[in-house]
Amino acid sequence: MTGSSKRTSPLVGVVDDDESVRESLPDLLRSFGFAVDAFASAEAFLSSESLPRTDCLILDIAMPGMSGPELQHELAASGHTIPIVFITAHGGEDARPQLIKAGAVDYLLKPFSEEALVHAVRRALSVP
Amino acid sequence: MTHAEFEKEGPVVDDQFRLAIDKIPGLVWSSLPDGYVDFLNQRWCDYTGLSMDEAMGWGWQVAVCAEDLPSLVDTWKTVLSSGEPGEAVARLRRFDGTLRWFLFRAMPVRDEAGVVVKWYGETTDIEDQKRAEALLAGEKRLLEMIAKGEALHPTLDALCRLVDDNADGGHCAIRLVDSAGRRVQHGAAPALPPNDRPEQVIVSDIASDARLKDSEWAELALAQGWRACWTQPIMSLEGRVLGTFGLYAETSGEPTPQQRNLIEQCCHIASIAVERMHSEDTLHQVRAELAHVSRAASLGALTASIAHEINQPLSGIVTNASTCVRLLDSDPPNIDGARETARRTIRDANRAADVIARLRALFRKKSVTTESLDVNQAIREVVALLRRDIEASHVSLRTELSARLRPIAGDRVQIQQVVVNLVLNALDAMSTSRDGARRLFIKTEPAGGDHVRVVVEDSGVGVDPADAERIFDPFYTSKHDGMGMGLSISRSIIESHGGRLWAEANRDNGATFAFTLPTSVAVTATGPDDPRVPANA
Repeated sequence: MTGSSKRTSPLVGVVDDDESVRESLPDLLRSFGFAVDAFASAEAFLSSESLPRTDCLILDIAMPGMSGPELQHELAASGHTIPIVFITAHGGEDARPQLIKAGAVDYLLKPFSEEALVHAVRRALSVP
Repeated sequence: MTHAEFEKEGPVVDDQFRLAIDKIPGLVWSSLPDGYVDFLNQRWCDYTGLSMDEAMGWGWQVAVCAEDLPSLVDTWKTVLSSGEPGEAVARLRRFDGTLRWFLFRAMPVRDEAGVVVKWYGETTDIEDQKRAEALLAGEKRLLEMIAKGEALHPTLDALCRLVDDNADGGHCAIRLVDSAGRRVQHGAAPALPPNDRPEQVIVSDIASDARLKDSEWAELALAQGWRACWTQPIMSLEGRVLGTFGLYAETSGEPTPQQRNLIEQCCHIASIAVERMHSEDTLHQVRAELAHVSRAASLGALTASIAHEINQPLSGIVTNASTCVRLLDSDPPNIDGARETARRTIRDANRAADVIARLRALFRKKSVTTESLDVNQAIREVVALLRRDIEASHVSLRTELSARLRPIAGDRVQIQQVVVNLVLNALDAMSTSRDGARRLFIKTEPAGGDHVRVVVEDSGVGVDPADAERIFDPFYTSKHDGMGMGLSISRSIIESHGGRLWAEANRDNGATFAFTLPTSVAVTATGPDDPRVPANA
């Protein structure tokens, strides 16, 4: 991971089971100067060494195994206060209020624009 | 004694016997062998208000209800010619004009040779028995209506009519308390007095009852000619007040024991009817929710899964293209990186196209569960399922299902989904029409020998002829809450069965949706009894 070694750049974690997201999203975020680690599942992120260093999490909602909201709950329960930006391809705003209430910074519907993504990540990183 | 001798000599009755006959509490008479009435006791005369002279011979007939007279006379003639005891029922008019049912019984008296010399008769008041029978029959009819699941209001109408017929001039009204606690009036009488207490309330004189002092209701009731009102709560099995049953009388006073009994009985029947309706409503609500959930779930799940499948590659396309632009814009431009992201963009676009192609294939070539299917039966099931929706939409449904329909080969559930969709669309189309009858017509008929045609015709907002094809496009919708998938999916289903689905605007108003399906005879091409199916097809 090119970005993870530089502690000067904030570390963004991407957790999504879709491979094209794991390929495309880190490249775009890196072009904005963020360090990025990508994970195919919530479990993979929880067991990774990146967990304590991650400054912001871009998290897919529906995944095999642990879902995005379950990971959010798990992190809160274990005392990790990582700001989360949810992303979903399932459309609909139904889940938004609940996730925002549980502490999520934003909720983006795929496909989302570069501006929306960067805006959300910057907001997430300014959150203490 | 013959008729002629009688005319000469007059009745031969012993004074003592005459006294006894006049005192017994029955209507007694006698006649000559030919049926000429030669004696009626005092009670008979008092009851009918006729004098002995007026009633003698055949004069008594004026006291018999004209409607019942011919059959009574016929029976009497038959009894006379047979010489055997006989009986008949007819209504007899009391001196005050009141008609009551009586049983007429005649017994012959014979001489030593066995020849009838005299007839003795007794006429018995059976009005109470007749009424009890009529009431019982009425109650039985009501319980049958309830058991058959007829709607509540016709049942309560029938109950009110039964009470009116049996209440001796009283009139009945029923007030129900609906689930929201509102009062719903039923019956022709004025509103019931304000009484929600679970106990009987007897207002024997509306004009003077202290409880109704200055009451608007009392004024209304008096204006309608009512003087007394007796109400009783209609209770559920658990003791909840379901409503109030009231009987109005035109004269002040307490209810008679019969009327009290009638009120009790009818409250009981009303409570059965209302409770059955409540439980059916609950059942229907659950069923409607289930149907809605399953419908919404199947279509919702479908659209959600389509959305997900499309959004994933779209997301990749947007992100990769954004990255590509940024890499080209950087100084110096990162050409290799840009090439890679452009390649990924193409890959994701192809992935999206694959999803579309898979979807089309899914709808076109979806393998269906093929069974021999009676289209009429399938439609009857749909109509039964949607009966409440149709009623709730105030739509009158007419069906005309051809008995000459051949079975088709197809998937029952899919064909029913199409019919459900067309019927629900029709109900939606009629929901906004304010004036004019809301009519839904479902028809099946053979078409061209080897097809069946199903027609769903409504009197709703109709279809613009210019849109008759466009409405089948996916995501085309005219509804606020519609996804625009129903007709598109319906057409896919019908076409996958080898049929056709189309829409037409009606000449007057509304729209007609029709589809054809090949019969299984046409599919197997063995239709020896149908000259239009070639043997070698």
